[in-house]
Amino acid sequence: MNKRGSYQRYLNRFGWFCVTPATILFTLFMLYPILSSLYYVTRRWKGMSNTFIGLGNFVRMAHDKVFQGALANNFIFMVIQIPLMIFLALMLAVLLNQGIRRFRGALRLAIFLPAVTSLVVVSVLFRVLLQANGLLNNVMLDAHLISSPIGWLNDAFWAKVTIILAITWRWTGYNMVFFLVGLQSIDTEIYEAAEVDGASKLRQLFTITIPLLMPVILFSLVTSTSGTMQLLEEPNILTWQGGPANATMTAALYIYRQAFFINADFGYATAMSYVVVVISGVFAILQMRLLGERKAK
Amino acid sequence: MSMVRKWTLGRALALLVLLGAAVISVFPFIWMIVGMTLNPNDVLKGILVPGRDFVSNWTKATTSYNLPIFFFNSLKIALLTVVFGLAVNGLAAYGFEKHQSKARDKVFGVLMLTLIIPQIALVIPMFRMFAFFKLLNTHAAIILPSIMSVFIIFFMRQNFKMFPTEIMEAARVDGASEMGIFVRIVTPSMQATYASAAIYLFLGQWNSYLWPLITILSDAKKTLPLAMASMMSAYTIEYGALMVIVCISVLPVLVLFLSMQKQFVAGLLGSVK
Repeated sequence: MNKRGSYQRYLNRFGWFCVTPATILFTLFMLYPILSSLYYVTRRWKGMSNTFIGLGNFVRMAHDKVFQGALANNFIFMVIQIPLMIFLALMLAVLLNQGIRRFRGALRLAIFLPAVTSLVVVSVLFRVLLQANGLLNNVMLDAHLISSPIGWLNDAFWAKVTIILAITWRWTGYNMVFFLVGLQSIDTEIYEAAEVDGASKLRQLFTITIPLLMPVILFSLVTSTSGTMQLLEEPNILTWQGGPANATMTAALYIYRQAFFINADFGYATAMSYVVVVISGVFAILQMRLLGERKAK
Repeated sequence: MSMVRKWTLGRALALLVLLGAAVISVFPFIWMIVGMTLNPNDVLKGILVPGRDFVSNWTKATTSYNLPIFFFNSLKIALLTVVFGLAVNGLAAYGFEKHQSKARDKVFGVLMLTLIIPQIALVIPMFRMFAFFKLLNTHAAIILPSIMSVFIIFFMRQNFKMFPTEIMEAARVDGASEMGIFVRIVTPSMQATYASAAIYLFLGQWNSYLWPLITILSDAKKTLPLAMASMMSAYTIEYGALMVIVCISVLPVLVLFLSMQKQFVAGLLGSVK
């Protein structure tokens, strides 16, 4: 009896031994930052010293047009880029899965390839390709598609388009692979039965493929939304510090700049990061709930 | 007859769309590889015929831009993150899954709660912490916070679920120690899981930008992403040398992807299972 108890204790000790290193690192680099941010959020920094201002940072936010504009940009990118990308990824996945037999592997590989680049590399590549006298403008001028170069990087409207193009190039193939995995798990007998019933290919797409893929589509919606809320590399490097004139400023980039670039205003930056956390959290919960309902059906 | 024609037309259309997507996806890679051999002006114009400036671009990248230093900084940081990350997260995932207890389940629950917190919300207190410990501008500052990953622990735990507990029991009867079971029996049979986790950790660190940007101040400590980003802020950009650095920074990831496609995709898709 006693021997058995000591063996149980040994097992339990080993269990703690396993999880302790990770838990220490978690406490230092996750729990401590989260808890100490509760202190930062109530303070106002002036040089090296700081004072308690309660909810003052949130009041300041209400009057900060640049931050509001940055949040609006996050929403614009979210509402336009995510549906566009999901549509493209879904179309490519369905075409790869059902449309062709030859070259399937090679085409899948090619379309996934942009996912091996880092966000910095994507930003650098597109910044060079989209210069006023760069490749894309040259090609379009030569093809007489445009009569004068487009200001991809220095026009407020086109700079937003540029960001959307770059993100779509980087992530479409990545999401397509998710959808391909989902498509391969659908039983082909369902399609054969639909074929017998005389359902057209388009009808099969809307009544079989898309409903069965919904969990994967929602998953990619959740991850893309959280990614869009964290956009930073692209507006910082590709359209240069959220330019032109904050046209591509995002919340994360503005927070970084307030804390580490323009000012050392750690309190205000923390307060703004709270807003980003809350918005991301609300989106995640809403989308997860949608996912949960689908699964329950 | 008409059915057959309609079908081949549909197939041709599908192939055309896919080919278009493939060309758009692959083109920037070809352009940047050819760009290594061009003079800066031709890189910008997008000339796709190889030029003769490779040697001068390479020399510029390696001497005036310290490419070897950036490359080895990035490699060292990424590899150390992978080694420590696999050890710490693998052990934790194993402990949470195969040595469950009420208390440890609670710890795991707290870990999972933080999964959706964006990095930007953590960097300010972390910056102050590393400043306090005088660790700013060190590679340790980049490595230490990226070792533990809640996502990797979750991903590996999912995979440890599939390891049969009966084998562990049998080893215990044979007198094996718990550490021996983990190191000699469980780990060797989970190689695919470790490979996926390694790729995920490597990519995350090799590509990381925001945290190194905040902590690294001196040129000699910079990683490839930081080096590329600061090249873009120069008044005149050496496009040829830039393309050399871009290609070198993509190359390891490309090799990793082409040689381990299955684990690569599993690493990305880990959470879908």
